[in-house]
Amino acid sequence: MNKTRHSNPLTIALVGRPNSGKSSLYNALTGENARVGNYPGITVDILEGEVVLPSGARATLVDLPGLYSTQISSASGADEGVAQAFLDSAKTKGERLIIAQVVDATRLALGLRLTRELVALNLPLVVILTHGDVLADEWRNADSADCTQIEKALGAKFDLRALADAVGGPAVLVDSRKKGITKRACLEAFDKCLQRSLSARAAKHFHPASLAKSVLRYLSPRQKITEQIDGVMLHPILGPVIFVGIMAAIFAAVFLVADPITTLMDQMLGLARAGLTKAFGKNLFTSFLVSGVLGGAGTVLAFMPQIVVLTIALELLEASGYLARGAFLTDRLLRAVGLGGRAFLPLLMGHACAVPAISATRVVRDPRERLTTILVIPLMTCSARLPTYGLVLATFFSDRSPLFRSLLFISLYIAGIISALFASWVLRRSVTKGKGLPLVLEMPAYRLPQIQVVARKAGHAARRFLRQVGTTIVVVSMVLWCLLTVPMPGSHAERGIESSVAATIGHVVEPITQHAGFDWRINVGLVGAFGAREVMVGTMGVIYGVENAADDSAPLTKRLREAKKPDGTPRYGVRTACALLAFFVLACQCMSTVVAIRSETSTWRWPAFVVAYTYTLGFAAAVLVYQVGGLLGIG
Amino acid sequence: MLSVSSLANAVLGTRLRIASLGLDAKAAAWLGAVGLAEGEQVVVLRRAPLGGPLHIRTASGGQFAIARELACSIACEPAPEIA
Repeated sequence: MNKTRHSNPLTIALVGRPNSGKSSLYNALTGENARVGNYPGITVDILEGEVVLPSGARATLVDLPGLYSTQISSASGADEGVAQAFLDSAKTKGERLIIAQVVDATRLALGLRLTRELVALNLPLVVILTHGDVLADEWRNADSADCTQIEKALGAKFDLRALADAVGGPAVLVDSRKKGITKRACLEAFDKCLQRSLSARAAKHFHPASLAKSVLRYLSPRQKITEQIDGVMLHPILGPVIFVGIMAAIFAAVFLVADPITTLMDQMLGLARAGLTKAFGKNLFTSFLVSGVLGGAGTVLAFMPQIVVLTIALELLEASGYLARGAFLTDRLLRAVGLGGRAFLPLLMGHACAVPAISATRVVRDPRERLTTILVIPLMTCSARLPTYGLVLATFFSDRSPLFRSLLFISLYIAGIISALFASWVLRRSVTKGKGLPLVLEMPAYRLPQIQVVARKAGHAARRFLRQVGTTIVVVSMVLWCLLTVPMPGSHAERGIESSVAATIGHVVEPITQHAGFDWRINVGLVGAFGAREVMVGTMGVIYGVENAADDSAPLTKRLREAKKPDGTPRYGVRTACALLAFFVLACQCMSTVVAIRSETSTWRWPAFVVAYTYTLGFAAAVLVYQVGGLLGIG
Repeated sequence: MLSVSSLANAVLGTRLRIASLGLDAKAAAWLGAVGLAEGEQVVVLRRAPLGGPLHIRTASGGQFAIARELACSIACEPAPEIA
């Protein structure tokens, strides 16, 4: 191949302050689904996609993590460090690179500070102003001028030529609602930038605030609305009350909204089991289908509504801009345990799933605080715990009122939060000792969440859960069915399931786990759940499906409740249930989390530490709860 | 002569001008990137309860939460009246 200018691939890097609309723009330009959020530092990985310019040139579009300044040294693992390292490397290698700076048009002066630094890099630069739709709406509301066309409105009030002259490169204003126009305008600007030689660029020295005034002759009223809302949401007394109320409402909604759907799905599964038995008769194949597949994976499937409700709630908080307010309100509390307000986002995200939450710790600038946050995130109540919590509550507390059960549900979340805060306090005084960096955090303006984005995220969470159920849990359930059906070599086959391979393994550890009230069945569940805690419910479903094959249509909750010991007493009581919950609150039963910690810390030392300390705490808490329960006479 | 006091003690809603930053170069550069540099104007909007961070607005229109300990190191004076 000839070594022409065009053999050198072209890269277009989207650079901008956190919250400037980069991810939305990336989606509009590539059609790919980057994370869209309203919180500083939400893009935690470098996303890439291909774009074709009007001239036919192909380019790789890169969505860099949020960057405040090119002149501040940052830790390489932090968001800013990643963006800086990318720009430094591109400049050193002399790659064909266009910097596309994304600037929130409603905060122009702030964005132009970074523009001034990017101009100094002497690389081709395009400035893309986002949130043109927000400005257009405000203008329409602010004056009676007939501004039905955004372009007309923007032309009248925005002096893009002045901006382009100052920065020495094309400047465009886009409206995220009009993806087609946005894409065309940006691609044309990239082409225009490509056609101009570097020497032709003539950036002027400018002062950000002065340039902003000459470009945008308008004062945004959105700021006033945000300040009015903040007057309530950040009120010294009302603010914390509203914050606690919102958090409690989310966790209660997960239970109250999803509980009836979960119960309905559980009943439908019971009917499906009965139908299968009726259709195929009682044989090994039916047992495999009913106990192995439906009893395992099907039981877990019933908990999908809870995960979807939780995802929607967290997305709404994130997209509205409230998360930064949460960080503001919790900074003092988190500071007391050695963290800071910036740790609030990853800790809250940990309630959905620890894996993205661990990646999101990149918004924490202090390396020690970041490591501590990573180490305690597995203690937050992730959605994978919900199936087990739901099963235990439905089995052992079904005679209690929905209010009691929802309070118990919330208390499990609180137990996770308190454990994480306590662990952080201990870690910051021992293994991650050292002074932290004080908080500096941008407070974005409030925005109405885009329903389609929230719906897409909820759909993504549901698909991810279904994929997990469809692969890992089905496989584990089927393997377990085999292990529960095949007798241990040398054992007495007439003892049925008790002589199976799985039961034998469960019996081996029973002398230790019996102090927490766990019998061989729970032990088998815990061994199966070592890699993924949501497997626990499926495992119990398989065990009770194989053991009580005569009662195929009964839900798992009923089977567990009615299970008896050889002496006729109930096999499990509230005491065992609480001990199991204590174990699940604390133990890090998730291989994906372990791998994510390895990835973020670049060592196996920290994931091993997390598994060791959470399992030790989990088992100790389970023994404590079971033994104290016994002393108090709880059954 | 204008009286200088720390940003942490500012009266809420008063427009102030940053007189000096009593911070190391790295911290000062970081604050400069968000619009908190010498000569810039700021308004303290509110304080979080129990000695938490301050909510401030900069002349660039940005709003930030900054830790009280940082605010203690930022010396401010009343901003000159706009003619």
